[in-house]
Amino acid sequence: MNSQRVLNGVVGVLIALIIGAIIMLVQGYNPILTYQALFQYSLFGWYPFATTLKNAVPLVLSGLSAAMAFASGVVNLGQPGQLVMGALLATIGGLYLDLPPELMIPGLALLAMIGGVLWAGVAALLRQWFEMSEFIVTLMLNMIADYFTVWAITYPFKDASAYSPMTPQINPKGWLPLIGDFNTTIFFMIGAVVVMWFFFNRWKAGYEWRITGQNSLFARLGGCDIQKNFMGVMLLTGALAGLAGGLVVMAGPHRFIKGLGANYAWDGVMIAIVANNGLIATFLYGVFFSAIQTGALGMELITDVPSEIAQVLQAILVLVIVASREYLNATLEKVAARRRARIRQT
Amino acid sequence: MKAFIGLINGMISGATPILLAALGGVFTYYAGVFNIAMEGMMLVGAFFAVLGSYFLGSWLWGIGLAIFGSLALALIFILFAVGLKTDEFVTGIALNLFALGITTYLLRQIFKVKGVFSNPGIIPIPAIKIPLIENIPVLGKILSGQNLMVYIAILITWLSYFLIFRTRFGLRLRAAGYNAARLDSSGVSSAWMRVWSLLICGVFCGLAGAFLSLGYVNLFAENMSAGRGWISLAAIILVNGHPLGVALISLLFGFSDGLGLLLQGYQAPAQFTAMVPYLATLIALYFYAVRAKEKRIR
Amino acid sequence: MDNLIEMRNIIKVYPPNVVALDDVSVDFREGEIHSIVGENGAGKSTLMKILYGLTPADSGEILLSGKTVSFHNPGEAIAAGIGMVHQEIVLIPQYTVWENIVLGVEPVRSFGRLDVEKAQQLVRQKIDEFQFNIDIHARVEDISVAARQKVEILTLLYRNVSILILDEPTSVLTPQEIPQLFNELARLRDNGHTILFISHRLEEVLELSDRITVMRKGKKIATVEASQTNRQELARMMVGREVLFLSRRTTQSPGRVVFHIENLNLRASDGRTRLKEINLDVRSGEIVGLAGVEGNGQFELVNTIMGIQKPTSGRISVDSTDITHAPILERRRKIAFVPQDRGKMGASLTADIVDNAIMTHHRLNDQFSLWSGLLLNYPFARHFTDVLAEKFAVVMPSRSAPFRALSGGNQQKVILGRELMLNSPFILLDQPTRGLDVGSIEYVHDQILHMRSEGKAILMISADLEEIFLLSDRILVLYRGQIVADIPVEQTSLEEIGTLMLEGKPRDE
Repeated sequence: MNSQRVLNGVVGVLIALIIGAIIMLVQGYNPILTYQALFQYSLFGWYPFATTLKNAVPLVLSGLSAAMAFASGVVNLGQPGQLVMGALLATIGGLYLDLPPELMIPGLALLAMIGGVLWAGVAALLRQWFEMSEFIVTLMLNMIADYFTVWAITYPFKDASAYSPMTPQINPKGWLPLIGDFNTTIFFMIGAVVVMWFFFNRWKAGYEWRITGQNSLFARLGGCDIQKNFMGVMLLTGALAGLAGGLVVMAGPHRFIKGLGANYAWDGVMIAIVANNGLIATFLYGVFFSAIQTGALGMELITDVPSEIAQVLQAILVLVIVASREYLNATLEKVAARRRARIRQT
Repeated sequence: MKAFIGLINGMISGATPILLAALGGVFTYYAGVFNIAMEGMMLVGAFFAVLGSYFLGSWLWGIGLAIFGSLALALIFILFAVGLKTDEFVTGIALNLFALGITTYLLRQIFKVKGVFSNPGIIPIPAIKIPLIENIPVLGKILSGQNLMVYIAILITWLSYFLIFRTRFGLRLRAAGYNAARLDSSGVSSAWMRVWSLLICGVFCGLAGAFLSLGYVNLFAENMSAGRGWISLAAIILVNGHPLGVALISLLFGFSDGLGLLLQGYQAPAQFTAMVPYLATLIALYFYAVRAKEKRIR
Repeated sequence: MDNLIEMRNIIKVYPPNVVALDDVSVDFREGEIHSIVGENGAGKSTLMKILYGLTPADSGEILLSGKTVSFHNPGEAIAAGIGMVHQEIVLIPQYTVWENIVLGVEPVRSFGRLDVEKAQQLVRQKIDEFQFNIDIHARVEDISVAARQKVEILTLLYRNVSILILDEPTSVLTPQEIPQLFNELARLRDNGHTILFISHRLEEVLELSDRITVMRKGKKIATVEASQTNRQELARMMVGREVLFLSRRTTQSPGRVVFHIENLNLRASDGRTRLKEINLDVRSGEIVGLAGVEGNGQFELVNTIMGIQKPTSGRISVDSTDITHAPILERRRKIAFVPQDRGKMGASLTADIVDNAIMTHHRLNDQFSLWSGLLLNYPFARHFTDVLAEKFAVVMPSRSAPFRALSGGNQQKVILGRELMLNSPFILLDQPTRGLDVGSIEYVHDQILHMRSEGKAILMISADLEEIFLLSDRILVLYRGQIVADIPVEQTSLEEIGTLMLEGKPRDE
């Protein structure tokens, strides 16, 4: 079963890369050189790899958020909004707090999580009180959060010396330090993966979340408190997405710049889907997607291929891997059945 | 009075793309497809509309290419969701991101710009003046002089109603959504009905996209569909897919759009006025949920 | 008589490795009623689905009037004159009767418009021709199951089908509705139609058929003339051994009242009354059977007892504790519950067996807790699963296999075992043997009787009257949301209960 999953992933990735190569060929680029450049700037060497890992943090965290939610039957698609709200709150904290780094860093991370929790909490409460489906509510809240944060960095928190909307840099005590080439933001990511895995596979509530995701009526009849679990999952996944936003600020530009959220959160949703909501798989695919995005920027420098091809490549990856997963499983079963029939006949 | 006419006209042009996309979604809704790719189809439509209009020098070509691009996305949806039986939700999410990726990529590749492509060479879809009616005071300024696509949208609303509720196609389409097994056992392929519904959705979303980039404004901007596909999905859910209900709800959203523009005139920050349609959607969803709850309790 | 249809050497394997049909050959004659009998899972339905083009055979051939045919979909089969009415009636509830019937072959006018008048007229014609009694303008969601079955048959007749396949049509009907169906079928046969009739009820098969084919475990056992066989012989061929249709219930006097419902009312969202003034007692050591045609409030009663739906008024108590408004977990301390739909309510098919086996126990049994209830004790959960499997004779590939890998009988054993190991004073069983093979049914019945002898109070809902009579001490009849009878089993008969189920009152009143 597990080896089949790995096979599936590898086959899917290969097919997607081949389709990507065909697209490049059609446009007159050399796919081999392009891919070489892509991975040279993302995986080969300490510095590229460190960059890839650092860039993977928001992808993996919002991916974990989506994967946890989906696997628990909660359609939280609000990661984009929760991410920027987390980033905003961490930034504000970073602008006004002045604590020693060992307090400042956890404090800002906590603020980021609170930002995500608050924003996810709006959707959770709307569902709890009025039974409004979290699906469209979180989507609408994304747009609202987007405009709200842009307003916040354009007016109240704007860096007066800057020409475009952005906040000033946060207090350097809140900057995540480097260890060699590696940014310490990576530890938050690894920690989150471990903690989430533990929650999901060892906690009693985690057991109930899993079962609710698979069959909520069964869980409910079995005595699980569906409402409480929904709340828990919503807030926890909100915290994860919020943390992703905070870490982007603390590790990278050290300020909230317009467009900071980019597509991190949506990419995270995609990664969760590709990983079939598996937590470890989310981590692995997150790093892989980050490698493509990170490498694309380097690739642009030495080839003519625009870095935006990474986005196209990603979408193809998602479709191909997911489709091949379901198709492969069905085909394998069919083949087995036919073999069986032949044996009977003889 | 001028502000009022402005508000009404803002409402109509705000409603048009949502209405067109939602009508496309109505077909997939009845066919039982969980289609959330309207957002992406609209975006691709908008890009290709600019492409056609700019390079081929005519808004007609723009509309044609918009439909083509949007249909291409619909075909990918069909390939994966109907053909390979991939989860519809997953397919939709991936396609929306694919649309965002491919339009950003092509914007860079073809027009060599990032963010926005605006050029006097983009020929917009014309407004239509209706003789006689345009002379009626007040009403004339609303009924006449709208963008061609507005009139097409009205036509399509009626056409959708007719197709879904009065024809053999409609009977089969709804059957596919209500109970696909029944339709299959009556000798009509429900998979084909889903395919047809997605193709229709592709065409309508193409029109919606063309209006966005050649009517509502005259440029292409990255991610310019800005959640309108999601709003149209909300509109469909709110009225359980009835085309005339969708038209009403779209006008409501269009009104909030127009209201946002109006408020901007009163010094409200642009970011807050831009939030209005999404807030309006939330409020509409609230009323829908309350009504559904009351129904359940009674 | 010539063979109208010949099916030769049909083999069918369902992925991954369930052999549904193992080299089956059978022929059907023109103008006969031909029954196919066998236990659940014998392959009757699969054989017919292959004939109807719903499922492809893995090998073998089909001859229709001597010519080889192969249908890729039901449409082709219907065009060739073969139609099938499924066990689960598939109609579109939102559509009217006539819309359901014409769907797929609708008369049209210009622009693809539906020709409503012509469609209705054509449907009416068919109804008159075969003397069916049905309102073509009624919405299907508003009509009875028997009427829906008529709609299915009319749909096929509307397409001029001459060979009709009926898959267990009587399983959804009351004893009183069956003769009417049989009359209609006999009339169709006399009109020259060929009828293939799937069933596992031997009396009705003997009554109706011209010939009978018996199947067992994917193989054809024999085809016999109905006039030259009897129930015992058929049963032996079906099961492969002698079967006793006798109750093993021992006499035992019930104890105190454990489960009690008082003046329970439930009004649904549409304002219709679903449960009306329900009063019900179940004593310890007693099995109460709740009979009734499906859709008369059983579903709502179960939901109300379990806490999925809130009653409009009334009181429910177990062990003299009021649970009317208790959260579900509180109810589960006192109620064991075996639902009718394993995949929807009783288990998660995709989760592994351990995850399914420990549900509810994980909250009620302290041994499942670590770190003062924060963590789940997985080693104990695995141990618990082994104990359950051992105790309830579950055959499983491994504990970590997904639940859907188990056969239906083993799935039910896990669910039954899980619920009975809760050791609750009250047990609610909703169709506990639906869809199981004879061996598993016997096992489940034994377990239920065992619980009775242990002094549990048991409420069993079943659509199978035979089962109700086999196990119950008392029989209640639910009719339009009301309990219309409460009779000790010794003082009643199948016919009386059947009448009550159908009319809500005894015949002579």
